[in-house]
Formats: sequence, C-alpha cells, structure tokens
Amino acid sequence: MTQKKITTHYDVLCPFCGTLCDDLEVDIADNEIIEMRNSCQIGTKKFFSSNPSGHRYLKPQIKEKGTFRDATWDEALDKAADILIKAKRPLLYGFSSTECEAQGVGAELAEYLRAILDNTASVCHGPSLLAIQDVGAPLSTLGEYKNRADLVIFWGSNPVHAHPRHLSRYSDYVRGYFRKDGRNDRYIVVVDPRNTHTAQIADLYIKVNPNEDYELLNAIRAVLRGVELDAKEVSGVPMEDIKKLVDILKKCHFGVIFFGMGLTQTISHHRNIDSAICLVRELNDHTKFLLTPMRGHYNVAGANQVFTWNTGYAYSIDFSREYARYNPGEFSSVDLLMNDEVDATLIVASDPASNFPAGAVRNMFKHPIIAIEPHHTPTSVYADVILPPAFAGIECEGTAYRMDKVPLRLRKVKDAPVDCLPDKEILERLLEKVKAKEGK
Amino acid sequence: MSLTNLILLTGRTINQGVALEGGKVTKENVRAAGICTFDKDDFKKLDCIAGTPVKVTTDFGEVMVYSTITEEGPHPGIIFIPMGPWSNQVVNPDTQGCGTPTYKGMKAKVETVKDGRVLDAIELIGKLKEVQK
Repeated sequence: MTQKKITTHYDVLCPFCGTLCDDLEVDIADNEIIEMRNSCQIGTKKFFSSNPSGHRYLKPQIKEKGTFRDATWDEALDKAADILIKAKRPLLYGFSSTECEAQGVGAELAEYLRAILDNTASVCHGPSLLAIQDVGAPLSTLGEYKNRADLVIFWGSNPVHAHPRHLSRYSDYVRGYFRKDGRNDRYIVVVDPRNTHTAQIADLYIKVNPNEDYELLNAIRAVLRGVELDAKEVSGVPMEDIKKLVDILKKCHFGVIFFGMGLTQTISHHRNIDSAICLVRELNDHTKFLLTPMRGHYNVAGANQVFTWNTGYAYSIDFSREYARYNPGEFSSVDLLMNDEVDATLIVASDPASNFPAGAVRNMFKHPIIAIEPHHTPTSVYADVILPPAFAGIECEGTAYRMDKVPLRLRKVKDAPVDCLPDKEILERLLEKVKAKEGK
Repeated sequence: MSLTNLILLTGRTINQGVALEGGKVTKENVRAAGICTFDKDDFKKLDCIAGTPVKVTTDFGEVMVYSTITEEGPHPGIIFIPMGPWSNQVVNPDTQGCGTPTYKGMKAKVETVKDGRVLDAIELIGKLKEVQK
C-alpha cells in the first residue's frame, strides 16, 4: 500500500461567516481535503464540501425541456447573455460569499446591463447600514475588543450557533492585552427573547419580548439620563433589571454591543439600530463604548465596500436610468420580487430560493434564472443556466472583508475541478459575451 | 392537538449551518432546518412525542415541519424554526420600506398531524414553481 503525500496549509482563512478566522490548518492529499484543524463545525463542513460529491456541478448546465444537460462554457455563457440582454429589468443578486474582485466585475456587469444590483445585506444587515447612514456608528476592529473590552453585550445575536469561534477568538474566552484572565476579566450580557446557548454561558441574561427591542433600548436610554419611568416593566423586563443593567453599562471601562438579526429582522428594523447607536453615543459620556454588527456571510462587508466605491451605494442599486440610484424598499430584491418587477435573475454565490419569503421566490420562478453556484440548491435546481464556479477561499484566491471591515487575503489550498472557473472569470467572460452580442 | 397565539422566531442554528454546507438537497438538511422547537411546557400541551409532524400556520402561509423540545428555553409562547426553506413559507415578507423582510415575530398556530409528511427542500420549493403552470 502506497502512502499518499499529505500537504498541510497553515493560516488558511475560513470562507464561511463574518468572523473570517485566519488560523485554519488544512491537510490535502490528491487534491482532496482530508483533515481540518482549528475550524468550527460549519467551516470544516464547507471545506469538505469542495471535495468531489454527488451534488456538485462539474460542467456548465443548460435546462432543456425541464432537464439539465452538460454544455460547453461558450454555449452556457451564450444562453446566459441572451437571457440578460432580453430582460427589461434583470436583477443581479448575491455576491456575499465570493471575493471582492468578482464583486467589482458584478457591479460593472450590472451597470452595463442597466440592471438592479443587490447583495445579501438586503435581507440581513441592510437596516444596520441604513441606521449607520442616518446617525453614524462608533465602530472598531475586533482586536481592540479582544484586548480592551471588559463588558460584552450580545443583543439579538447567538454567536454560539452563528459565529461559533467569535467567542474564543475575540469576545469571551480569549486572553487580551488588558484582559489577561480571559473569560474572568469580561462580563457578558445577552439580550434575547430565547435563553439561547450564548445566554446560558453569559453573566446576565435579559429576556426581552419579541419585537419589543426598540422600547427596551429607549427605556435604557431614558434611565441612563436619569429619567424616572412610570412603569413596572418595559418589553417584559422589570424596571429593577433595567436599572441594574444601566449601572453595569456605566461602570465598565470599555464596553461593546455586538448585535445581530434579532434587531434587524424584527419590527422597526433600522430604527432598532438607530436607537442602539444613540445609546452607545450617550454611554460615551460615562465610559468608552462601541458597537459592531455581527455580519453573516464571510464577505458581505466586502460586497458593501466594493459596491460603495463602485457606485456610491452599499446595496439596492438600480442602474435602469444609466446612473446609480439607491432606495431600499424599492430597489431591494425582496420588494422588487414581491412587486413582480424582475424579469430575469443572475444569482452569484447565493440561494435566494431557500432564503427569501415564499411570495418573492414564487415571482422569481416566473422568469429565467442564471445561477453561478457550485452545488445543487433549491435555487440552482430550478434555474435555467448553471455556471459552476471554483470555491473562493478554497480553490482560488481573492480579498474578503471581515465583519469589522478589515480586508484579508483568501488562500488557495487545492485546485478546482477542470471545468469550474473562479467567479471573477465567469463574470468577466459573461460581460465580454454581452458586449460582443451588442456589437461593442 | 393544537396551540394558538404563539410567536414564531427564526434564525441560524449550528446544525442548520452544517447541513446547508453539507448539501441543501440532503435528508440532513430536513432534519436540521425542517423542524420547529417548542418550550417544554407548550410541548406537553401538544400531547405528542418529539418528532411528530406539526403544521405551523401564520397569516402568510403554512408549512409542515417536525416538532421537538427546545434546548434554548424556557420560552413559553415562543416557537422557533431555523432559517431556511421551511421557515420562509410562513415569514412576513413585509419590509416596512427598508428592504429586509420581517423574518421574526409572526403570530402562529400549530397543530399536530400524526401522518403528516415533511417535504424535503427541493419538493417544498418546487411547489412554488408548480403554481406557475
């Protein structure tokens, strides 16, 4: 029996969540991943999913009479270009699970097609971006929190499940320069309607009623200013607990609020974040306080950056008048689809059929779909053209922005299957094809 | 048995994250995301064993999922379905003009359907495609 030659790659970045861990070790043999170290469960699974499997697309696919057939890149790009040129109001959506260079080409393609350009922030931290545009945001990098924070608040976010290594790398167990005793030097508060696994390991758990975060945030702001509220409880939280929390907030040396979907996806959306930012601003009269959104996809922060420096706006961008216009609620994917305005969709590294509300998916399915997607997903299975990509961060390099907007370079640890191209190259070839067809 | 006046929340779970990276068309994904977790006392009122299919209905739709008792309780009156194709059949698509649907905090009712069938992701989303024809 011959021994396979194992190559180990060190300090590999994980292309799954916004924590963008950069200390992974990956063992490769025969161009397959055989072992992972340091990664969380989800990251490990993502790396292993790039190995050959029954549900990965290895060649471009075109749907004919309801079934897929293998196609050449030229054929598939030709069909995709036809769909996009014919469409009056095409939507280019996704981009958050790919690298910045591909996002840049996506923006160029959208402008050329006079399409709508949107990324997954639209259904995720879009409200946070709106609030930051309204009132600014006191943000910092994760290293500062790790070294300095002695009070960490998770509001409407559950990092044990959604960002599994956030606690051990930046916010809870890790030893920092001024927090030498790690967990013992930090006080953890969780505000959530459910007693989540994060809440179970916190020092203080505040149980808030669903959809009532806005009231609680404003009650805290009022108490902070010394207002005596005429109420026994606010949003299900007894007044004594609110006073106790305010006392903890004022007494810390360096506090941070990490907030998640519990604030952005509930009623009052961006107004919740407005209020959280104002609370942090007011807390800075007493001590040092900052906040940071817990971004989901590993490069959704990058998508917002790239779209902003290309078009002026972070998401929900409409090019139909040949210049960029921005209006979430009108040009955001779910609103457009609910209003049945879109007549063709190009999906880049995303699965809206799984992640959009049913009504939006129903309308998306009425029209042609092109998917740049490595795996069988509910979106790709019902698409018309599939363009199989290499995994960014596993099979090709690129740049990604961590949740605190720090750009890091993704690594390549193995080769992609022969017929799978990097997202950037696919989009460039599609753009060339579209230009050639229009005689430019 | 049935329960009314519940509040439905959705969100990431680590099992759902692992399952979606492992393959969205797999049975593992159904077990991870096609599931509704109940507070322990609420579940007693349903009078069924864990794993019994339940129909979750909101103002925006209905979906069949498996039932189980939460590890993240107590949360009386609240039910939780992980983000994904199943929860998205019953969430509120209204974005209140900001682009992001209201994925959390819908009023819901639940009834057990002992011989109910929980569809896999492709079948479930396929129903949205069929409506076109």
